Amino acid sequence: MLKEVLSQIFRKPATQKYPEVKPKVPDGFRGRQIFDIDLCIGCGLCARDCPAKAIEMVDVEGKKKPLFHLDLCIFCYQCAESCPRNAIKTSGFFELASTNKHELVVKPQINLQKRSEA
Amino acid sequence: MTNVEQNILTALSNKLGEKILQIQTPQPRKVFVRVNAGVHRDALRVLLDKDESAGISAITGVDLGEKIELMYHIRTHGTIVTIRTEVSREDARIKSITDLIPGAIFHEREVTDLFGVIFEGYPSPKRLILSENWPKNLFPLRKDAEITNIEDKLEKVTVLDEDKRSSDGGTLVNIIMGPQHPAFIEPEKFSLKVDGEIVKEVKPRIGYVHRGVEKAAEKRTYLQDIYLVERICGICNACHAACFCQTVEAIMGTKAPPRAKYLRTVVLELNRIHSHMLLLGHAGLEIGYESFFQYMWRDREPIMDMMELLTGNRVIASFSTIGGVRRDFKEEKIPKIKVELATLKEKMSFYKHLFDRDPTLKMRTKNVGVLNKREALKLCVVGPVARGSDVKMDVRKDEPYAAYDEIPFKIITYNEGDSWARLMVRLDEISESIDIINFALDNLPSGSYRIRVPRIVPAGEALGRVEAPRGELFYYVKSNGTAYPERVKVRTPTFSNILSFVQIAEGGNIADVPASFVSLDPCFSCTDR
Ligand code: SF4
Ligand code: SF4
Repeated sequence: MLKEVLSQIFRKPATQKYPEVKPKVPDGFRGRQIFDIDLCIGCGLCARDCPAKAIEMVDVEGKKKPLFHLDLCIFCYQCAESCPRNAIKTSGFFELASTNKHELVVKPQINLQKRSEA
Repeated sequence: MTNVEQNILTALSNKLGEKILQIQTPQPRKVFVRVNAGVHRDALRVLLDKDESAGISAITGVDLGEKIELMYHIRTHGTIVTIRTEVSREDARIKSITDLIPGAIFHEREVTDLFGVIFEGYPSPKRLILSENWPKNLFPLRKDAEITNIEDKLEKVTVLDEDKRSSDGGTLVNIIMGPQHPAFIEPEKFSLKVDGEIVKEVKPRIGYVHRGVEKAAEKRTYLQDIYLVERICGICNACHAACFCQTVEAIMGTKAPPRAKYLRTVVLELNRIHSHMLLLGHAGLEIGYESFFQYMWRDREPIMDMMELLTGNRVIASFSTIGGVRRDFKEEKIPKIKVELATLKEKMSFYKHLFDRDPTLKMRTKNVGVLNKREALKLCVVGPVARGSDVKMDVRKDEPYAAYDEIPFKIITYNEGDSWARLMVRLDEISESIDIINFALDNLPSGSYRIRVPRIVPAGEALGRVEAPRGELFYYVKSNGTAYPERVKVRTPTFSNILSFVQIAEGGNIADVPASFVSLDPCFSCTDR
């Protein structure tokens, strides 16, 4: 053991220098989900299957669309799996800590830019 | 039906004859025997006479409306024999079995708390899971329990269950560990009586982190329950999910495809490695060997990264689902995993050498907290605690699930029964697990990794067992033909093992209590659920 302890002095630390150096997450990491309103048909399957009741269906221009309460979300990606239109995409974004849980509510928003391009 | 099952049934019907009301064998290695209340003790005696290493896995209560059904799940020869009987709801009483199986003590107390069944002849009928001020006649797992406005219904309790007058005439000193204690990360209470340095008596009181997961599971769909049961314990989350899925698959009569079975095996073994390393490091900390703790946890980190690489999260895997697994392994990730595992294997031989040689480690663990084989069987302990006391039991061999029937591996046992043996079992199991993963990755079957299953589960019931890092994990699921389960029973390995703490601490030195306690690998959140 002593040998191991001494050799450790010359090795670089095992810990990471977060937040100065951001860790790389592998692909397939379950980070924040990205919702694409243009693909959504408002079926509500995501809200039905969400185990944390983190999805609320709200009115957007007369149609029901999912609103994500990321403060409740457990990042299981069941919503992404249940969605028949692949409107919920995965991302590796994990830095979601906040002092205010209202900041963690993601409202479905009409993608104006896409609409004007069309 | 296998020979073992046939033998058990013959023995039962020879002794009990007409008294057996019904026999069912719905799943392989599972036998259900229905008897009247009272005869359950005779049936139990037959099983115990036949197999001295038979033990109790769980007691499940189910609310049937007019009646309350009790199921005694006895493990014997790698088979679960369930003795089922009914008691009336109004006068729910049945004879206790604790004189036949001392390991049933906590199982009975749990049923009393949650279903209001009184076990006659039970030595100390106190609360175990619920708090002392919980309303007297409110039994949470009965279907009609109204758990609203609970604050208004609470009982007034002034004296907690601590004995006010001590039976020893005041010569012994009471030391209360917990519920809040610097040595515990989670809350649970142990009242120790010491005579000088020597522990004379230990009284455990659990339930401080009871979250009612079993009740919550009834209110969620099967799909949502997978994520719920995963959160019973963060450390062995993959085992809970796999066990639940496997049990529901058994009700549905479906099987996960071969590839899914291998993928599950890999994740379950990664789970075991990181859990064992966590515990070994923790043991180092309690012993006062902090460098050992740090290096163990440093070396555990690559395993967590592997979990993240394969499942998308370093802790909660969310990997198994009903009908298979949720994602496939990408081929290009496999070589990286194998390299990491090879490095880890080398390190394990270094740690093993350390455990064999290092005087500090040996002094604090050898002949400390001894649990001999007889006691281990009597208390029905499971997992590495049982294997450290030379009890050869491992669900992976007794009742192979996932791909364990196709993968060669050894059951590790030690016969010393002390803290050292329990830690060595885990150290050796890490190496075995590395070999299992390598074998599984080399022999990954091709094909699909998931079959789609309906959301509605046909009416029925099933038992499931998995060898979690801490031992046999037991699930019972009953379906009523909807998308919501009727009953989900979870018996965690730590619940079975907590009783043995009394045994290993009594007679020992107070200074050894933390180290020998840790060698049981306690986890309170899964003990209480
Ligand atoms: S990731 Fe899981 S918890 Fe989060 S919104 Fe989707 S389904 Fe709900
Ligand atoms: S499941 Fe998909 S399509 Fe349906 S409401 Fe949710 S996001 Fe929209």
